[in-house]
Amino acid sequence: MTASLGLAAGASTTALLNRPKYHVTRRQPRSRVAILRAESYSHNLESVLHSGLELFHLDLRGKTVLLKPNLVDYIPGNHINTHPLLVCAAVQCFRRLGVKNVLVGEGPGHQRDTELVLLESGFADELRQLKIPFVDLNRDELVTTPLLAMYTGMKLLWLPRTVLEADFVVSMPKVKTHHWSGVTLSMKNMFGVVPGAKYGWPKNILHWKGIQESILDVCATVPVHFVIADALVAMEGNGPLTGHPRPLNRIVLADDPVAADATCARLMGLDPARITHIRIGAQFLGNVSTERIDQLAEEICAPSNPFDVVPEFQHLGVTGSAQRDS
Amino acid sequence: MNHACVQELIDRQLPEGGWPFSSETTQWAVEPTALALLALPSESVRERDATIRFLLRAQNANGSWPAFSGDDEGGSGLTGLALYALNCRCAQGMATERAVQWLIESRGWESHWLWKWKFRTSDRHVRFDPEKFGWPWMRETASWVVPTAYSILALKHSGSISQQDFVHFRIRRGVEMLYDRICPEGGWNAGNGVVYEFPLAPHADATALALLSLLNEPPNYFITASLKWLERRAERCFAPWSLAWIILALDAFGGPTELLADRLSSLVVPAEISDCATLAVALLAFRLAAGNNAFRVAHET
Repeated sequence: MTASLGLAAGASTTALLNRPKYHVTRRQPRSRVAILRAESYSHNLESVLHSGLELFHLDLRGKTVLLKPNLVDYIPGNHINTHPLLVCAAVQCFRRLGVKNVLVGEGPGHQRDTELVLLESGFADELRQLKIPFVDLNRDELVTTPLLAMYTGMKLLWLPRTVLEADFVVSMPKVKTHHWSGVTLSMKNMFGVVPGAKYGWPKNILHWKGIQESILDVCATVPVHFVIADALVAMEGNGPLTGHPRPLNRIVLADDPVAADATCARLMGLDPARITHIRIGAQFLGNVSTERIDQLAEEICAPSNPFDVVPEFQHLGVTGSAQRDS
Repeated sequence: MNHACVQELIDRQLPEGGWPFSSETTQWAVEPTALALLALPSESVRERDATIRFLLRAQNANGSWPAFSGDDEGGSGLTGLALYALNCRCAQGMATERAVQWLIESRGWESHWLWKWKFRTSDRHVRFDPEKFGWPWMRETASWVVPTAYSILALKHSGSISQQDFVHFRIRRGVEMLYDRICPEGGWNAGNGVVYEFPLAPHADATALALLSLLNEPPNYFITASLKWLERRAERCFAPWSLAWIILALDAFGGPTELLADRLSSLVVPAEISDCATLAVALLAFRLAAGNNAFRVAHET
């Protein structure tokens, strides 16, 4: 999912992108976002997360919940992936909410050996200890699915049955900058449900069809019901693989992926309205405006220095009063 | 272990003759099926024959193979693997000739003049030469390492005499593409060695497969550096899929693999490996003990 030859792809112009091309509206009148403070990756995350989830009054009894972390590759010392302790804390919290089943699923975009990534990133041990089932979405059973938006021009995607049958999908991104899409947050994270068994490694068709466009089509078709974003240690610079760690000591929860991503962008010192998929997503997938977002727990604290991004995305950065108004 | 793997693999064969990726589904996929065909020993005559018949039935009209049941008929990047497996089992004929023809015609989109121009002029963040192209995972996308390696293997062992010049041209271009996309420290990942001037890390499975496809190439820096990287990577690899590919590649190049095979043995409990492709590759690695490397001896007797 990372680097690709696909920058060539973004054929659509901004004007074309802005024309409504969706068959579904998921945007609610108001969205809720909670910013939680967390000092470190530890087993205390479960209590932090549990108190945060209580703010949303979720009723998930009897539901099947799929947690979709961002699991790209393993490079020692690099904060590439959603931390396994946060994912396991989320599993425990959802179990406490009386769900029928909690699964963790991911289809890495670059590395074909998902088990290797699980082993080397520490996921395998944590998942085994808590008996958490993991589904390799790259090699799951596939179902052809009509797209509910048409920004890419593709009419359908093959998607994993596990994703389609989940009652409640939780996107758990690692908060990072991204050299092709500007940022990779809860919406971009959903590229991981697109199966490598059909689309290859990387899922290059999504790049040729336009990354921003593909994010919109995928998120229109696979609803993200909730977001738990790992912003304890984020990544800036040449993400998603070779950027630098940037501690934020936050976890962002939201019942709306667009609101979640807009909030994460603000925490990064970036203007969400300048990030194409967030701006267009605000037409039908969720809310960007702070006036439509109920801010729970902590307030947004914009950094004095925006996250470093590659030169093509320098325009995303805002500071000071501009940040507060965005 | 060898016998247990064979039995587990046979138990998972679908009634129509193919294999799924996950043992929990019945949706066949070409990669585990072709790998299983390569892995099954000659004693498994009935299962091998069923697999060959299945692959021939599953072939698209244009000579390619779909990636899985229900996939569109345009052809997938696994066509090379299916063809290679059939050739290794001496299943040549019209079907394999059509597959060769499809491989000759299929190419990564970066080879198109418009994209070449774009990559040369305005889109230069990924370091690569679009003149050096291989095979894509699916139509209308760029060349990547794994489908290119599978395709090179297939064409090198196709035995096609009708289109030798074209076959030779595509093999050379594919080999050049692999050398072009190599990671700076040696080895390959999906196909991006350097992005935004940052070197990316190789992957064990892609490196092993690329090396297997380069087996008869003249010795050079790319192969030597990649073999060294793979040997280093082997020391800390405990995932069956990657470790099995490492063993196959190092063995093909004459390296010692006994200790690695012992490690693989300790990691593999056949019934607990839900991924049939991984089970098949592990079996391929275990069969080295009997002198069978499916990627070194193309036409097993």
